[in-house]
Amino acid sequence: MADGTPVSDSTLEQMRHLAQLIETGNEEQVKDAVDELTRLRERDLYQDLGRLTRQLHDALNSFQLDARLANMAEQDIPDARERLRHVIKMTDDSANRTLSAVEASMPLCEKLEDESSQLHEEWQRFTQRQLSAEEFRDLSKRVGDFLGRGKDQAGQIRGNLNDVLMAQDFQDLTGQIIKRVISLVEELELGMVNLIKLSGTRLTDIQKKEDQQAGAALEGPPVPGVSDTGVVSGQDEVDDLLSSLGF
Amino acid sequence: MKILIVDDFSTMRRIIKNLLRDLGFNNTTEADDGTTALPMLQAGDFDLLVTDWNMPGMQGIDLLKQVRSDPKLAALPVLMVTAEQKREQIVEAAQAGVNGYIVKPFTAQTLKEKLDKIFERLASTG
Repeated sequence: MADGTPVSDSTLEQMRHLAQLIETGNEEQVKDAVDELTRLRERDLYQDLGRLTRQLHDALNSFQLDARLANMAEQDIPDARERLRHVIKMTDDSANRTLSAVEASMPLCEKLEDESSQLHEEWQRFTQRQLSAEEFRDLSKRVGDFLGRGKDQAGQIRGNLNDVLMAQDFQDLTGQIIKRVISLVEELELGMVNLIKLSGTRLTDIQKKEDQQAGAALEGPPVPGVSDTGVVSGQDEVDDLLSSLGF
Repeated sequence: MKILIVDDFSTMRRIIKNLLRDLGFNNTTEADDGTTALPMLQAGDFDLLVTDWNMPGMQGIDLLKQVRSDPKLAALPVLMVTAEQKREQIVEAAQAGVNGYIVKPFTAQTLKEKLDKIFERLASTG
């Protein structure tokens, strides 16, 4: 004790009191005083034990957090990456399928348009009694052919439109996948926040510097409520900006 | 009228190609970034370049600058069709000599307006 923590006043007093009691030879009171000293000693012990328990608890908690974060980094993030790649593939497939159906329908529509306007013209000549009998026979045959082809072509266009309709089935699936990735990102965010709290590091200053440096990079498509600063809100504002520059 | 469409996404190239065809421009060729587009422009007699901005390899803005610095191509009208909507980027494209700037998503009407405007100006400046 001589080179350690100084003996507290209360302990010193109790020891003096104990010595006095021993000298006076009151056995009962000596026993009480020793009990009192032991009780004090135990209280310190319990306090230390409580502190240790708490530290162990925190350590175990942070260990669990680390394990979850490690698991996220090793499994969930690559998994999310694959899922998002699948989203790109599905939207790409859908766009191509839609475009193919449209490209297949366009010439059919153009042909129907051209033929109907030609026949319409001649039909008007017929109603105005400007056609000879032979011309009418020719027109009548062409109208018959046109109606037959029209039925087939309309059927083809209906089939293509149906394909466009079916090509939209990705929306439900990509929606579900993206929702799952969002919830993973939320979990990751929470884990990172807890980790930062545990490590006690302040990242805000570093972050600000990095943000300033990233200013020149391309932003990509603007997202409402996310990237609003310094961004025009549509073609009209682009036109205004360019005309203010003399365009 | 021979048009080169440059975009890294094939679906966007197809959309632009179809819209242009609907407007009566049937002679279109495609490239997927500036690096492949530039030699095509230098080799072929294109009348218009429609390009995206953000692409791997050579970006649209660099393609535009290369076109303007090449004496053979310098006068080629360039229409940029891009998702980049930052003011400083639009200003940069204007300073680099872009003839029109369309932000995605866009409509067939917008494409028609910008093309009309480009050709109007070309006709008036000779």
